[in-house]
Amino acid sequence: MALSREMSEQQAFEVVQTLLDAPESRFPLTFNSDLPRIRELFHTATRNQWDPKTDVDWDQLKPDAYTEEQRNAARLYWSRRAWSEYGAISESPSLQLRFGLENRPSDMQLFFTIRSQEEARHAEVCHAMAERLGGYIEKPVQSLFEGSVSTHGVRRATLNADVPLEGIIAALVCTAEEIAFDVFKHLDDVTRDPVARQIVRFIMRDESRHCAFGWYFLEAICETLTPGQKKMIEDSVITMVEKVELNGYHSSWLAPENPASNAEVEADRITYEAGLGSTIEEAEKPIFITTLQRIRNQMQPLGINLPPFFHPKLGTI
Amino acid sequence: MHQVKPTMPPSRLLLERRFPLEMGVTLPEIRDLYDSGKAGRWNPHRDIDWAALMPAQYDAPVRQAARRTWSRRLWIEATGLTETPALLMRFCMEAGREIDPKFYLTVRNTEEAWHVECLDRIAEAFGGRIAAPADKVYEGAFNRNLHRRVMNAEQSLDSYVTCFAAFEDGLELELCRTWRDHATNPTIAAVLDRVIADKERHAAFGWLYVTSRAPQWTAQHRALVAEELTANIRETELKGYHCPWLAPEHAAAEAQADVLTASAGLGGAPRVAEEDTIVRYTGNARRRLAELGVTLPMFESNRMRTF
Repeated sequence: MALSREMSEQQAFEVVQTLLDAPESRFPLTFNSDLPRIRELFHTATRNQWDPKTDVDWDQLKPDAYTEEQRNAARLYWSRRAWSEYGAISESPSLQLRFGLENRPSDMQLFFTIRSQEEARHAEVCHAMAERLGGYIEKPVQSLFEGSVSTHGVRRATLNADVPLEGIIAALVCTAEEIAFDVFKHLDDVTRDPVARQIVRFIMRDESRHCAFGWYFLEAICETLTPGQKKMIEDSVITMVEKVELNGYHSSWLAPENPASNAEVEADRITYEAGLGSTIEEAEKPIFITTLQRIRNQMQPLGINLPPFFHPKLGTI
Repeated sequence: MHQVKPTMPPSRLLLERRFPLEMGVTLPEIRDLYDSGKAGRWNPHRDIDWAALMPAQYDAPVRQAARRTWSRRLWIEATGLTETPALLMRFCMEAGREIDPKFYLTVRNTEEAWHVECLDRIAEAFGGRIAAPADKVYEGAFNRNLHRRVMNAEQSLDSYVTCFAAFEDGLELELCRTWRDHATNPTIAAVLDRVIADKERHAAFGWLYVTSRAPQWTAQHRALVAEELTANIRETELKGYHCPWLAPEHAAAEAQADVLTASAGLGGAPRVAEEDTIVRYTGNARRRLAELGVTLPMFESNRMRTF
């Protein structure tokens, strides 16, 4: 593998003006806690660290208790979870970078250091689960599905000086992560395998802090925003819901109908019926609808008004 | 809403190709660092006896010196809050890079955050964090735009890791050990013990990674690594980034503070001890680099002996 001066021939790049191109100016440097609720999240996360290697009762997992079809479906499900968690490792650090470049309250940077580590643990544990069920799968079985799981453009948006940070957090954290969290709560109810359930609970515990971060930030910042700025936040959330969530980023049954998404949906059904950690359209649909309604209600007092959303499988929410 | 204006030329950013996404162990020694980082997790508020710091036992000039010394260490440690996420993203954006460094860097960043909390707490205890260098020119030693540099596709990632994760983190580790050797305050000693344990992994990561990569480097690549590392030592270390006595024209206040901090046993070291550390470490690093085919020149400065 060549060094990167030669790599441009092998890997595509773009020349683009971003926040990275602002001269660093770290002084005056402060670590005062301007958002103490977020600092406390950092401290709570510090106290509640866990290790996929030592804190999961892997011995309780009995792959042989499941059929080959169930194991295959579940390894695809847990591989897909690993891809999703990896997305946060690859893209969300751009948020931490932006907090620093914009001299946002240091609480946000500190919390995000441990948030990224938690995402790494999630990816690690999902990969380990897939391995034990027959082997981690490195990419979507059908490339058509890549578009639904590869990226939701967080890094690009975060490094764009014209995209307000407030909108990104409202869309990524208060919306996408909130939906993911509610699905995890549901998974805790329907997952019967003890190890799969333990993993779900470990991840859910971390995700609750990730969601809280977003709301604490939004609640603190919204008082200072103009109606025009709040409209930009609305637009970001609408894009996240319509282009990402309703496109199947978290829930494969929402992805546009094609052979690839059908295969993923079928794998989810088999995994769900085996109690190994997934869910199905019928069970998840009311969760999704309730979550979206709750997000709308929670944003409204902050001056962020979300319109109705439509999806052929959900109707108008 | 905050406004930051990009005024430098646009950067070249790699376009990530996420799949196939390898997650198996390919660099087991670096995976071990990740695992040992998780196992060695600690809590700055619970695991340090802050009551033993007792700043009131020191007279005012010493307290003032200590707050300046530890504030300057904080300015250095804060680098990781923007550099490490950028380095992590670069590993993710560049095709073919292994999962082990990516996992590892998330742990490193949390440790950097814990260090920031500890250093800040010490500076606050001795009278309050100092927000900037006494001389504005010295700010340039810290505003290095490393996050931009590592994200730039024109920057060799291997060369970057050699300069900053191997050499620089290794030097930082050795300086921490030197400060620890001269620390008598129990709280300061405990903080340095924790920081050293973490930085041992940080430095090991850099050296392990470049050692795994070096066999693939061409002669041109090796020359590039040598060139960038040489420039970094001249532009960073010899400009007083770690040791302000190397830049007395702009960092006199910080250098004088370090003398008092060291003599009070508050986590500094005499100048001669720091100089010995730089000379010894650079010599060792030069030998390690030679094994990788990288020739590091000797450095001359009128502030210290040739090293």
